[in-house]
Amino acid sequence: MRRITQHPIVPPLSGRTEVSFSFDGAEMRGFEGEMIASALFANGITRFSKHAKDGAPQGIFCANGQCSQCTVLVDGIPKKACITALRAGLDLRTMDGLPVLPALDAAPAPAGKRLLSADVLVIGGGPSGLGAASELATQGFSVILADDKAGLGGKLVLQTHKFFGSEEDCYAGTRGIDIAAKLEADLRSRPTVTILANSPVVGLYKDRRAGVFQDYSSYLLVAFKALVVAAGARERSIVFPGNDLPGVYGAGAFQTLVNRDRVRPAGRVLIVGSGNVGLIAAYHALQAGIEVAGIVEILDKVNGYKVHADKIRRMGVPIHLSTTVVSVEGEGRVERATVARVGADFKPLLDTARGYEVDTVLVAAGLSPCDEFYRQARDYGFLAVKAGDAEEIAEASSALFGGRIAAFALAKLLGRKVEVDESWIAKREVLKSKPGDKIPREPVVPGEKWRPVFFCEEEIPCNPCTTVCPSGSIKLRPRRGDLLDLPYFQGDDCRGCTACVAACPGLAISLLRRIDEAWSEVALPYEFEPGFEPGDRRDLLSMDGAFVEAAELLKKTFNRRYKTWILHFKVSSANAAKVIGIRVQDPAAARSLPSPQFSCAAEDAIVCRCERVTFGELVRFIRENKVTDVNQLKAIRAGMGACGSKTCSALYPSVFRAAGVDPASVTLGTLRPLTVEVPMEALVNEPAAVGGPSRGGPA
Amino acid sequence: MKKFDVLIIGAGSIGVPLAYYCAARSLKVGVLEREASWGRGQNRAAIGGIRATHSDPAKIKICQESLRIAAAFREEHGIDIEWRQGGYLFVAYDEERERSFRDLLAVQKAAGLDIDWIDADRVAELSPGIAREGLRGGTFSPGDGFASPLTTNTAFHRLALEAGAEFLFGETVTGMELAGGKVRRVRTDKEVYEAAVFVNAAGAHAAEIASMAGAEIPVHPDSHEGGVTEPVAPFMQPMLVDIRSDEESGNYYFYQASTGQVVFCITPKPQAWGAETVNTSGFLPLCVRRMLELYPRLRSLKVRRTWRGLYPMTPDGLPLVGYTREADNFLLAAGMCGQGFMIGPGLGRILAQVIAEGAKEYDFIFEELTPYRKFEGMELLK
Repeated sequence: MRRITQHPIVPPLSGRTEVSFSFDGAEMRGFEGEMIASALFANGITRFSKHAKDGAPQGIFCANGQCSQCTVLVDGIPKKACITALRAGLDLRTMDGLPVLPALDAAPAPAGKRLLSADVLVIGGGPSGLGAASELATQGFSVILADDKAGLGGKLVLQTHKFFGSEEDCYAGTRGIDIAAKLEADLRSRPTVTILANSPVVGLYKDRRAGVFQDYSSYLLVAFKALVVAAGARERSIVFPGNDLPGVYGAGAFQTLVNRDRVRPAGRVLIVGSGNVGLIAAYHALQAGIEVAGIVEILDKVNGYKVHADKIRRMGVPIHLSTTVVSVEGEGRVERATVARVGADFKPLLDTARGYEVDTVLVAAGLSPCDEFYRQARDYGFLAVKAGDAEEIAEASSALFGGRIAAFALAKLLGRKVEVDESWIAKREVLKSKPGDKIPREPVVPGEKWRPVFFCEEEIPCNPCTTVCPSGSIKLRPRRGDLLDLPYFQGDDCRGCTACVAACPGLAISLLRRIDEAWSEVALPYEFEPGFEPGDRRDLLSMDGAFVEAAELLKKTFNRRYKTWILHFKVSSANAAKVIGIRVQDPAAARSLPSPQFSCAAEDAIVCRCERVTFGELVRFIRENKVTDVNQLKAIRAGMGACGSKTCSALYPSVFRAAGVDPASVTLGTLRPLTVEVPMEALVNEPAAVGGPSRGGPA
Repeated sequence: MKKFDVLIIGAGSIGVPLAYYCAARSLKVGVLEREASWGRGQNRAAIGGIRATHSDPAKIKICQESLRIAAAFREEHGIDIEWRQGGYLFVAYDEERERSFRDLLAVQKAAGLDIDWIDADRVAELSPGIAREGLRGGTFSPGDGFASPLTTNTAFHRLALEAGAEFLFGETVTGMELAGGKVRRVRTDKEVYEAAVFVNAAGAHAAEIASMAGAEIPVHPDSHEGGVTEPVAPFMQPMLVDIRSDEESGNYYFYQASTGQVVFCITPKPQAWGAETVNTSGFLPLCVRRMLELYPRLRSLKVRRTWRGLYPMTPDGLPLVGYTREADNFLLAAGMCGQGFMIGPGLGRILAQVIAEGAKEYDFIFEELTPYRKFEGMELLK
C-alpha cells in the first residue's frame, strides 16, 4: 500500500475504517470515506479509464473536481474519482469507451423542489470565503456558504508548511491546516450562517437563484440578494506532448493526495514551474518521502519566493532556469520526462535536451481564477463581489483580508452605511505584494553569545521572527516602512531560545555561538524526521544549496508549537555563518539519464482534456475556418466535455496566437449552467439518489 | 460601397446554407452578421432535430429537402455533421392522443411522408426503458433524424467560403434605402451595400430588419431552454416527442445524438415572450421531472449543460417566405418558429434556385408561406 504512515508534520489520520472494494475485479482495500482516486493510488492504480475517443489511458489531473479526467465506473456509473467517497464493496471499473446506461427502470418518486433563502450566498469556503461570511454575519446579514469540499478551508487544508505574513493579522508561522480549523470553528459558531459543505454551486439563474448540488446527491435552489464569489483558482494546464499521460498532474492535485489523503502517489517527480506552488510541492514531496528530480522554469529566474527556492535547493533539489519540458513519455503512464534549455524566444533548444527517469510530472504553471460566477452575476445584473484567488491570485494570508474587505463592499452595495477599516486594505495590499528588492546581508562572525543569522535577502511580507523573539531583539529595518522590510538582529540580547529558528516559514534563520577558536555551535531548523543521532555527521549546505562541510550533530530538540526540529551542529567557525541547510535528498535522484530519448511533436499536446483535442487540430481548424470565436471550437468538440471548458479555455489564447489570430480579437464563449454534471435523479430530489451510486443493480 | 448579387442579413441557420447554395450557383454573395461569427444567434441554441413530419405541405417539402441534404452530407462534402437517422416518435399514452395522431397520419401520408403507427412493444424496442404503463404506441417516421447544429452551420460556412461567399461579421445593419419598389441600399455601422436581392434571414431580429424596409411582419421571439447530458453508449434510437402538457409545461422532446449525449428541450407554460437568453432555475427540475416520468431509465444520466434560445414565432407557427409588398427584391426567410435549423438547408437550396433561375415549381411554397396570409389556426405538430 502506498500510504504515508510517517510524516514529519501531519499527524496520521486516525479513526478510519478499512474496507474492501474491487477494481476491474481485483480485490483492494481502502478507507471508508476517502476519495476513490486516493484509494486507487494507494493500491498502485494510476490509470482509471480509457478515453472513448481513442482508448488513451486516463488518470488524474486536478484531483479537485474541476476537470473530469479521473472518471471511473462506480457500480456501473461514471463518477469523478477525486470527489467520490469510497464505501465498502464498491465495484470500480475502468471506463472503456462510452458507459452503458444502467437499466434502472423503476418509476421515479421525485421529492419536489427545495429552496433556501439568504441575504448573501458565499460561493467558496476557503480563506476569503470564510472571512467574507464571518464579516457579513457580524454585520447582521443571513449567509449561506457553499463549498464543494467536505472540509472547509479551501486549499489551506493542503498547506502543511508555515505561513508567511504577519503573526498578529494572519496567523503567520502557523500551518495552513491549523488555520483552516480555526476559521471553520469561528464560522460554525454563528447562528445566521448556514454552511453547505460538500455541495458545489453548479449554476446561476436569471431569477436570482443558484443551483447547489447538495452533498453530491440532491438539488437545492438558493435564493439570494447578493453574491460573494470566493471560488478560488484552478491549476493551469500547459502544452507539451504527453501532457495527458497518467502521471502528469497538477501540483495542487499532488498536495491533495499527499497532504490531505496521505497517499504516496509517486516515487520520483519532476516539477514544471518555480512559483511558490511548485517550490512548495517539491518540499511536500520530500517530506512525504518522494524524490524530486528537479524543478524546471522557463523564465531565467525563480518565480516564487527566494527563501522557498533556497530551501528547496539546499535539500538537494536543483532548479533549472530557462528550461522547459519538451516531452513526457511512457507506456500507459509516465516513465520519463525530457527537458531542454530555451532560447530567447522561449523555444526549446533540442540539442540541450536531457532526460529524467520519473514516474510523475507535476504541473505548477500558475493558477487561473475561478471567477466565472462573478462574470455571470455581473452580466445578469446581480449584486456581487469577488474575493481571494477568484479576484486576484495571491497568498492565502491576503485572501483572509480580501474576504473581509469584500464583505464591506457588498454591505455597501446592499445599502449599509459602513466603512471598511482602511488599515485592512493596506494590510491586504502588503500581503499580496510581489517580492521587493534583494538586499545582501553583512557577514556575521561567531561570538561568545548566541545570535541569529538571517538567510532571507529578498523583501517579502513576513515577520514571525520579530514577534516570537522574547527579548524583542529582532526588528524589521524600516527601508520601505511596511511588512516587506527585512528582519535584523538589533541589540545583543539573544538568549539562544531558537524560537525564531523554529518559527521562520522560510527555514532561513540559524543561531550560532563560538565554542572555541576553531569551532562554533550552529542551531538549524529541520522539518523532517531526523533519523540520525548526536555524533552522526551530516552534509551542511549554504543558502543556495552549495555543499559547505560535513558536520557533527551535537543535539536535537523538538519545538512542539512549530512542529520543527532544532538541530545543533559543531561547525568550523569559518563556515558557521554560512550553513543553513541539511541535505535531505540523495544527489542521484536529480541525475539525468545518460542520453535523452524523446520524439517531439508539440502539436500532439492535448489542449481539451475532456474531448482529447490537440493543439495541432485546433490551430488547423482555426486557420481553415477563419475562426475568431471560441464558441466555434466546439465544432471539433473542444470545450464540450464534462469540465465545461474550465481547463482548456486558459490555453486558448496561445492556440489562437499560434494560428495567427490576435487573442484580444477573439470572442469568448458564453457561461452556462451546469458547471458540474448532476444526475437527473438528483435534480428532481429522488430520495433513492441520496446515498449514492451503489443502490440497485440492473432491474 | 460594396456590390453583391445577393446580400443576406443574418449568418445563422437560414442565412449560412442559403449563402452556400447561392454561391455554388456562382452568385456573388455577401452575408451581414452583427455577431462575431456564424451561428451565434439561435443556431447554437437549436437542439438538432431534422424532420419532415409536419402538418403543412410547404414545410414538409422544405424539410424533406433538408433531410436529403443532411443524409448525403458526408458523401457529398466529406464533412461529418453528426447526422443520425433515428426517426421521430410521437408517443401516445391516452386514447385522445392516439386518435389525433391516427387522424393526422392520413394527411401526412398524403403529403408523401414515410410515417406510420407503431404499437407499444415497438415503441419500447426503439426506446428501451420507456414507461410502459398506459403506453398505447405512437407515430414513427424513420426517415427523420438529427445532426449537430454547430457542425452543420460550420460546414455550410466553410463550403460557402470556398464557393466565394463573403462573410461580414461584426457589422450591424443600421438602415435601408428604398426606391421604385425596391431596396436599393443597405447601410451598416461600417459600410454601404448594393445588391440585386436582399434576404432577411435575421432570425429573432427579423421584424426589426423588415421594419427598415418599411414592412411590418409578425415575428415575435419567445424563449425556450434546452440541455445536454454526458455521453453514454447508444441506447435509444428516435427523437421522442411527448406532446402532453401539464400545469407547468407543454410538450417536450429529447434524443440521443451520435456522440451519445441526450439533448432535450421543453415548452414552458406560460410561454416566455421576449428575447431573454439567460437560463432560469425552473427549467431543469421541470424538464427532468417530465423526462423521468416518461423514461425512468434516464435517472442516472448526468446533465452536463443547459442553455436558452429564442423561437422567432409567427401567429400560426409557420415560417414567412416571400417578397414584401414594399420591395420586390427584399426576400423574407424569417419566422422559423424554432425550426430554422431543420428548415435552413432545404430552404437555402430552394431559394437559391428561385433566386438564380426564378424556378416556378416552388411557387406553392411562396403562396402558402406568404407573409400576407391570414394566420389562422396553429400548426398541429409545432
